[in-house]
Amino acid sequence: MSAPGKPVLLGCRSPEKETFTCWWEPGSDGGLPTTHHLYYERERLEGTYECPDYLSAGRNSCFFNKNHTSIWVNYYLTVMASNALGNATSDPFKVDVMEIVKPDSPRNVTLRVEERKDSPCLHVRWRPPSNTDTKSGWVTIKYELRVKKDNSNNWEEYMSGTQTHFSLYSVSPGVVYTVQVRCTLDHSSWSEWSNTTYVKISNYLQNERPFLMLISILSVILFITAGFVLIMKRKSVKHWVVPPVPGPKIRGINSQFLKVAGSEDVSNALIFNQSFPPIHFVWEDQMEEYLNVTENEDWLSFNSQKRKKSLIPACFHFDSEIHCKESTCNQNEWEKDEEISKVDNNNKPFTNTGYVDFQRHVENVQGANVKHVDYSRIKEVKGNNVLILETENIQISNIPEDYHRVKEMEGDHLVVLQKQNAADINYTDCALHKPRKPHVCTESSNSGYVDTIPAPPLM
Amino acid sequence: MKKVLFAALCLVYLELSMRVVSAPICSYGQAGCHVPSLADLFERVIQQSSRMHSVSSDLHSEFEQYFFPSKNIMGKRKCHTYDILTPQDKENAQRLGREQLTEVIVTLLRAWGEPLSELHQSMSQDQHQDFNIYSSNKALEISDIVHELKDGVKIITDKMRLMGVLSNTVGYNSPESLVPSSAFYTQGDLDSMDHHDLLYCFRRDSNKVKNYLRVLKCTTLPELGC
Repeated sequence: MSAPGKPVLLGCRSPEKETFTCWWEPGSDGGLPTTHHLYYERERLEGTYECPDYLSAGRNSCFFNKNHTSIWVNYYLTVMASNALGNATSDPFKVDVMEIVKPDSPRNVTLRVEERKDSPCLHVRWRPPSNTDTKSGWVTIKYELRVKKDNSNNWEEYMSGTQTHFSLYSVSPGVVYTVQVRCTLDHSSWSEWSNTTYVKISNYLQNERPFLMLISILSVILFITAGFVLIMKRKSVKHWVVPPVPGPKIRGINSQFLKVAGSEDVSNALIFNQSFPPIHFVWEDQMEEYLNVTENEDWLSFNSQKRKKSLIPACFHFDSEIHCKESTCNQNEWEKDEEISKVDNNNKPFTNTGYVDFQRHVENVQGANVKHVDYSRIKEVKGNNVLILETENIQISNIPEDYHRVKEMEGDHLVVLQKQNAADINYTDCALHKPRKPHVCTESSNSGYVDTIPAPPLM
Repeated sequence: MKKVLFAALCLVYLELSMRVVSAPICSYGQAGCHVPSLADLFERVIQQSSRMHSVSSDLHSEFEQYFFPSKNIMGKRKCHTYDILTPQDKENAQRLGREQLTEVIVTLLRAWGEPLSELHQSMSQDQHQDFNIYSSNKALEISDIVHELKDGVKIITDKMRLMGVLSNTVGYNSPESLVPSSAFYTQGDLDSMDHHDLLYCFRRDSNKVKNYLRVLKCTTLPELGC
């Protein structure tokens, strides 16, 4: 039980240059209930006054409101502790409000991430402390902020002047940023740092870059694959780009066969694979060479005759593409010396037979009715292409009724038949089927030769 | 040779035709002058007062650090500007009105012109090498600033009078209180105590000037966003 210990004035603070608070530390209380009183004197003011407010600022404090606060004057403070046994007075403490200004921290620090094309940026916004009066110009607040990345201990500090916002442009995605702001009133002490605010910058912008990279890698792979394919198929590519000049080729002849086969086979192949001249449409305008099928001993020597337009063979043709395979060619034999027997039945439908009528320009015309024409009657047909004709020239004066002589060919499809009495010319129209098949001329005239027997396909 | 002559002639012509002339800043709206606006003037003046205060604060704290480590010691010497009545808080400053506030500012500045130059002289001639060269330069700087500030505030008041913002009213301070500043000082050397007191007093007064100028600006031009 003793008199109280001497209290100590710790310090004072003014948050806005309009009020201030002072705190003291009481000494020992001496085991008795002790009260404390603060007394002050002021420059330009006579007298000693007691603290106007012990409560507002908490225990062991004295709050001076606006009415009791004057700037640019010295206050001399003392605190007295007293209990039943005695008093104790602290040392005087001089304070000028101008010197003890320390504002509160800025409020409502908000962070906003702005996603931009190339790099995001961070916008920081805050509010000034609530009790400062900047409108009248009494105080001017200046701000400062500091930024920290993730968990590092290095703060980067930036001055913000009097602005209540700040933008950071060098921010990296995927990093957590911690921001704090503090302020000062004119040249007073700095406030405490505000509460920390965190923001994590999203990574999606980063994802775009791997996406682009993925696309570029895929396209590179595609290019490489295409290159490989081209190299593998370079021959066909070369063929396509630079088509080879076609060499001479006999239709129906297998060049491979020719290399392998013997001379007989070669000849066979050459013969059998020849097709009779195409009789249909095109030959009208052309001078073509035809195989002249004559007597069998001569048939090896093919006399090619120039045929004119008016010569019309029978209205059929052999299949244009006859591939003579080796096996079939061997079967075809020909006999040079063969007796030609008369063919009995003219109407007999020969397989692979038909009349070939060649009308020649004959000098001596014997009569209107009877034209001196050369006819060769086909004796027989060997194989697919060989016609064996009779040797004698047959003069046919009496042309049987069911034969018609073809006078001429008009157009591609029109066969002009000659009337026996030259009075009645009918036209037949050859319906042209597929060129490969021997086509059939249906005749409806009664003058001129038209073989109505359709020739079956030769193969 | 002809080319050289031609080039020389061209250069002479250019020299004569293109002359860089600085535009004079004048406050009376003379012809050909670039007249700064009131906002610009205020801005400049506030910047200067801020600089003045910060330099004086630095100088004072240096002095205290060097000579008087214990902070609370100060002789109860009155500042020579003690008798100049100034508003002690925000309400009083706002209640004062523009004219009187301007007058207070001007009075304060006028009171410090001579003492500061004396201070600088004293510091630079210090036999004891108490101050380094930088402190002496700072004293010179604040002396210059006070001088400029005086002129600046005068220009502002003239402009405000022209604009009709300022009227001629009774001064806040009675003429008797405007004691010539030199009366407070002996013409002899100032010792370190004098230096310290002067710096202390000036720090306070520069803070007052800065604050009053800001209040003046915000009441005169509220649209500038104080």
